[in-house]
Amino acid sequence: MSPLILAFVLVPFVIEAIWVFWPALQGFWLALTSWDGLSAPRFVGFGNFSDMVSDPIFRTALKNTAIWLVLFGGLSVVGGFGMALLLQKERRGVGIYRAALFTPVVFSLVVTALIWRVFYQPDGLVDTVFRSVGLGNFVRPWLADPDTALYAVIVPALWRQIGYVMVLYLAGLKAVDPALYEAAKVDGASAWQRTRYVTLPQLKGVNSVVLSVIVIDSLRSFDIVWSMTKGGPYHSSELLSTYMYSTAFQSTQLGYASALAVIIFLLALAVILGYLIRAFREEA
Amino acid sequence: MTLAADRRTFLKGLGLLGAATLVPGCATSAQSPGNSGGSTGGELALQSNLSSEQAKAAMEKLVAAYNKTGGSQVKLNTVAAEIFRTQLPTYLTSTNPPDVYTWYAGSVANSYAKKDLLLDVTSVWDSMGNYSKAMQTLSTSSAGQKIFVPTSYYWWGMFYRKSNFAKWGVTPPKTWDEFVAVCKTIQSKGIPPIGIGLGDTPWVASAWFDYLNIRINGAPFHRKLLAGEGDFTDPKVKAVFTKWREVLPYFDPKGKSFPFQEATSALLGGKTGMFLIGTFFADSAPKDALDDIDFFQFPIIDPAVPVAEEAPTDGYFASKKAKDPDAVKKFLTWLATAEAQNIYVQSSSGTAIPANPDGKSADTALVKKGKAMIENAAEITQFFNRDSSDALQPTADAALTKFLDKPDQIDQILKDWQAAAQKVFKA
Repeated sequence: MSPLILAFVLVPFVIEAIWVFWPALQGFWLALTSWDGLSAPRFVGFGNFSDMVSDPIFRTALKNTAIWLVLFGGLSVVGGFGMALLLQKERRGVGIYRAALFTPVVFSLVVTALIWRVFYQPDGLVDTVFRSVGLGNFVRPWLADPDTALYAVIVPALWRQIGYVMVLYLAGLKAVDPALYEAAKVDGASAWQRTRYVTLPQLKGVNSVVLSVIVIDSLRSFDIVWSMTKGGPYHSSELLSTYMYSTAFQSTQLGYASALAVIIFLLALAVILGYLIRAFREEA
Repeated sequence: MTLAADRRTFLKGLGLLGAATLVPGCATSAQSPGNSGGSTGGELALQSNLSSEQAKAAMEKLVAAYNKTGGSQVKLNTVAAEIFRTQLPTYLTSTNPPDVYTWYAGSVANSYAKKDLLLDVTSVWDSMGNYSKAMQTLSTSSAGQKIFVPTSYYWWGMFYRKSNFAKWGVTPPKTWDEFVAVCKTIQSKGIPPIGIGLGDTPWVASAWFDYLNIRINGAPFHRKLLAGEGDFTDPKVKAVFTKWREVLPYFDPKGKSFPFQEATSALLGGKTGMFLIGTFFADSAPKDALDDIDFFQFPIIDPAVPVAEEAPTDGYFASKKAKDPDAVKKFLTWLATAEAQNIYVQSSSGTAIPANPDGKSADTALVKKGKAMIENAAEITQFFNRDSSDALQPTADAALTKFLDKPDQIDQILKDWQAAAQKVFKA
């Protein structure tokens, strides 16, 4: 084999090993220690993991991450797919609507968070809208109320993600052969039947992409929660990712934070492997 | 240059890059890798967290003044306060750390000294004879070495607008009962009496805990509790919250949604009556409104408890691994002079008081009053995170904001707080 080709394989591998694999392995090792970032780490075995069982903040974070996965993930698929169906036909001005829905994806999530915080602030846009439609008793400190904080953060996250998912589905819909619809029409299939028996099966490939994107995006959701609530008030909107960050860099319990990172990794792996295994089985 | 040579240079570069990352060792050793802005050559690196506009400009002036005196040149790296705080352990444990740091005196500095990360600056103190006893104690590690050079301090108080107090017909209260009466009067005018800003800055609530605790149980109990020698489930701690509950109805309900900067605007705009805050709030206040601002001491609750006040002290410490300790000490000696501290105080927002007794604080009535209050205090505390640790602060944030929201659950809140605190002390 030519040394050039070998270099093209080995150099990226070495870089990957140094910057990805080695720190990841270190993370697994750190999860078994108690470390404050200053002294040498102390080996505690699975102590961090058994601490998690009795940690109420961890339980809240785990529950919130599950809520996030279902609501953020589920609604962005439903919303994105709905919007794609609505906007797939070429009509006059449809490009404007597509662009409008995709625009939030262009903004950084931190900027999005800043704008939405202004909406949510006391007497802000959200309160004003509720008051003007006679729902004044719904008004509350949206981001400072433990009952609403998490859901108030999901809304801007969805506002952004729906546009992204829509574009993926639009691309998928474009790839469906129009002859299939023609044939279905000739056979007397209704609009609903065409969607159910032609569109959906044709989108299988896109679905797997969307699902991976959604699961990964849900589990790594951090920026929008951190910039809007920092996991507060009193941990009520904490996700596993924000809890990991605050444990590591605010409470400087780096061992415990690494253990949380391991849990996040295992969850992501379980969801994605679970899906892949199912997908392969269906193909077989 | 030929293509082959290009490729060779590229690969050589990559190889070097790879080797460079292997050399500093792994993150699990006490020495973490990375270039954290250490000094090069004869230059001293000064890492500063004073990133607000006025404070940053004042620091630039200070460094420029020192660089004119000759000797080692100082390079200022200003880092956003929050990033500075999380990065500080990494700076101090890196192989090539910055030399000098802006930071806090007391327990925070001492925790780094215990890990043998700070430069012994006892010799600097030999030329700082006239500093107060309190400043000396605050700058001494548990091993008896001087590790910190204080340069300024500020005070916490209950701030209000003079014109509004006159309009509402209230006068600054001295005791708790008078305070409650003032709250009642202001509330009867339709104004939330007590402002607070917990949105992005939940740590502001710690000032209430600190003050109630030092007023009810005294400063020594407070310090022990924060050092992990007490228990948050102690009935004495619960007494703090029982007292606090008496004034909960007077807190601005909107205060939990916005940060202290907006709570400042609410106070200045007459939308709240009073605000327990440190003088740094003046950084985000318009100058003309400041002339109408006054403060009163946090009300006395138990006259038998020696009066303590919160007066966080700022200053500098240096890395033990500084390449030129003599140059660092020379710089610190200069920073301790009245001349240097005056440069900083005059160029910043003007409410900080120089630590050097010969330093000139701003000549306003407000600053004179603040300085007198601190000088008359029997005890000085720093602030929750400075008397305990940055790691303990998030546990207080969660407990106190929850208490403000759900005071009925106080027993459970204190139990959770103790559990969270124990985890921090154990780590």
